[in-house]
Amino acid sequence: MSTISPSTDRVRHVDPTRRQQAVAAWALALPFVLLFVVFSLGPVLASLGMSFTDMRRTDIRDPFAVNPVGLDNYVQLVQDPLFRKVTLNTLLYLLLGVPATMAVALLVAVGINRVERFSGFLRVGYYLPVVTSIVAVSVVWKFLYRDNGGLFNTVLGWVGIDGPGWLDSTTLALPSLVLMAVWRNFGTLMVIFLAGLQTIPQEVDEAAEVDGASGWARFRHITLPMLRPTLLFGAVITGLGYLQFFEEAFVMTKGGPLDSTRSATYFTFDQFGFGNYGYAAAASYLLFLAVVLLTWVQFRWLGERDEKGATR
Amino acid sequence: MTTPTATRFRRTARAGAILGLASLALVACGRDSGSDAPVEQGEAIGDGKATGTIEVWAMGTEGEVLDDFSEAFTEENPDAKIEVTAVPWESAHEKIANAIAAGETPDVTLVGTTWMGEFAESGGLEPLPEDLVDPAAFFDGAWGSTEVGGTSYGVPWYVETRVLYYRKDLAQKAGWDEAPASWDELKQFTQDLQTKGGAEYGIQLPAGGTGSWQTMLPFAWSNGVGVTNDDGTEYTLDSPEMVEALDYYKSYFDEGISPTRLLDAGELESGFADGTYGSFISGPWHTGLVEDQGVTEDQYGVAVLPGVDSAGGTSFVGGGDLAVFSDSDNKESAWKFVQWLADPATQQGFYDEMGDLPAVSEAWDSGELSEDPQLTVFGEQLDNALAPPAVPTWEEVATVIDGEVEKATKGDTSVEDAVAEMQRQAEQIGTGL
Repeated sequence: MSTISPSTDRVRHVDPTRRQQAVAAWALALPFVLLFVVFSLGPVLASLGMSFTDMRRTDIRDPFAVNPVGLDNYVQLVQDPLFRKVTLNTLLYLLLGVPATMAVALLVAVGINRVERFSGFLRVGYYLPVVTSIVAVSVVWKFLYRDNGGLFNTVLGWVGIDGPGWLDSTTLALPSLVLMAVWRNFGTLMVIFLAGLQTIPQEVDEAAEVDGASGWARFRHITLPMLRPTLLFGAVITGLGYLQFFEEAFVMTKGGPLDSTRSATYFTFDQFGFGNYGYAAAASYLLFLAVVLLTWVQFRWLGERDEKGATR
Repeated sequence: MTTPTATRFRRTARAGAILGLASLALVACGRDSGSDAPVEQGEAIGDGKATGTIEVWAMGTEGEVLDDFSEAFTEENPDAKIEVTAVPWESAHEKIANAIAAGETPDVTLVGTTWMGEFAESGGLEPLPEDLVDPAAFFDGAWGSTEVGGTSYGVPWYVETRVLYYRKDLAQKAGWDEAPASWDELKQFTQDLQTKGGAEYGIQLPAGGTGSWQTMLPFAWSNGVGVTNDDGTEYTLDSPEMVEALDYYKSYFDEGISPTRLLDAGELESGFADGTYGSFISGPWHTGLVEDQGVTEDQYGVAVLPGVDSAGGTSFVGGGDLAVFSDSDNKESAWKFVQWLADPATQQGFYDEMGDLPAVSEAWDSGELSEDPQLTVFGEQLDNALAPPAVPTWEEVATVIDGEVEKATKGDTSVEDAVAEMQRQAEQIGTGL
């Protein structure tokens, strides 16, 4: 962190063109600032304000003729059993999904890092799901998961197991969606981890090998610590994505069976659909808070150790 | 120069100031304590011919054919011009809502029957003028979909209703020459389809999921349940009749006559064709869909929904209403166009053109609609069909019903608890009137 010293500050004060420069800077920035205020900041503040009112769809002709209700929407949300359920679902999705995605991505990245041949081909192959449309992927996986004639149950049938209705079971539906999400998303992390792995100097690894460290010990004490910044970044972006999961459930299960795959975003989407604009806005701000909190926790947890490691 | 902490403080202060201003703006506003007196119907319109441009929004295929179809109207009213914009159904709700919010609306629009409550309550639709049409000319259920809080905001244009589809050949094998006419008979009928007719499931009923209320509520209506009180201000879902109806509905899943699994698109039709499902309840579009799957007209039949006793059951009526926007600048001519579309002769003509079932009962008295054995079943059912209450919160309450039906059919809660929970949540949501 750098602070500007007083001396340079004084020098700037006497700069005769400073004013013109400021004017020019603002003039150049103005188009963006205006667009940002009108199309980004404005709606954000409006929706924040909306979350403190009882605005409904029927108020659209008179958006200001609504009652301020203070924190009522938030209080009601916290008490709403469905909202509690979708929060739990979202957390479960996050807790199952992020570690699994990172583990798979790391495993594949370490593997590909060793492979000399076909590594380009493998990279493309594993990355392909990421660039495929999530809706298309969901539709295909819905068929794979089908009770009768789905690929998974057909394969299970070969070994004599009568597979369950994956998406029809309240306990299996969410993990099934997580499995698909892992398959679809680990490609991004794999690429990032691969880049991280290449920055680890070979000498350290070789020195440890000479000292007789086993493969696992080298991975545990050299690769992992040196990858920590990359892991942090991966955890944050995956976590943010998983907190907002929606399309998978929307296409594959419609939030069912019995709301077991309804996410917080899905809940918000429904509430907007019902025209409860105030309530829906409040729900999206709670989700926003959760995102901020999650990121903060991850930076605290992974970031601090990283600083310690760096100073050592 | 400022230190980072000072900058941060200033930034926080600025954010605080913006929030403060925003909340000030909020305090400045407030909901008018609207009068509870019902809105009067609009004043009767004059006799002259329609003039000027009438902009019309219509969805789906209706939107595509209406332009040519309305040439007959412009021939009668040479000074008027009809401009039809076809709007896809998927974006129609949003588009109408935005138009109302912006005050930039066309003159006439087709409105899905379940949206009437919301758009009328927001003040975007014009109350129907006195004496424009005769309410008695329409099917009761269809007319009900236009009435919001006792005032009518439009005219039914076309309708659809749900009837029982069954495999005639399987039924004959099971010893049934006629469709069942009462709840007891329906139960026996579906059991027989399963045990003697060879169907894997006697009937396919939705065990929950989006829109399952459209199949479940007819059973409740048939049993005398009123979803709301007469003026639509309160939900009245928790009645012994509702419990009885849901209990009956649930028994089909408990006894394994209907699958509890939610079907994928297309599964029902192919399952009906290969004998997996012996019967199901659906609307007129399914005649085409099952025939596409190779079910011949001799193989299946349609019948009016069975009632609790042999009096005949109440079904669901959906469809489209025509409404005029309050921001329209050509209201009188717009209503004349609506009046013309609701004329029995025009309705029959539109059926010939489109296959949409007419909302005016007189249009069913002659031609194909009165002769075709399948169509007459739909006509008969329309005499005994209800629309869901036209209140702004209906879709939200419908989702609650869907959810509780699913809990009950899958054995997650008892029928009594499910019904009590429906009522509790519906009360909390309110009708929005």
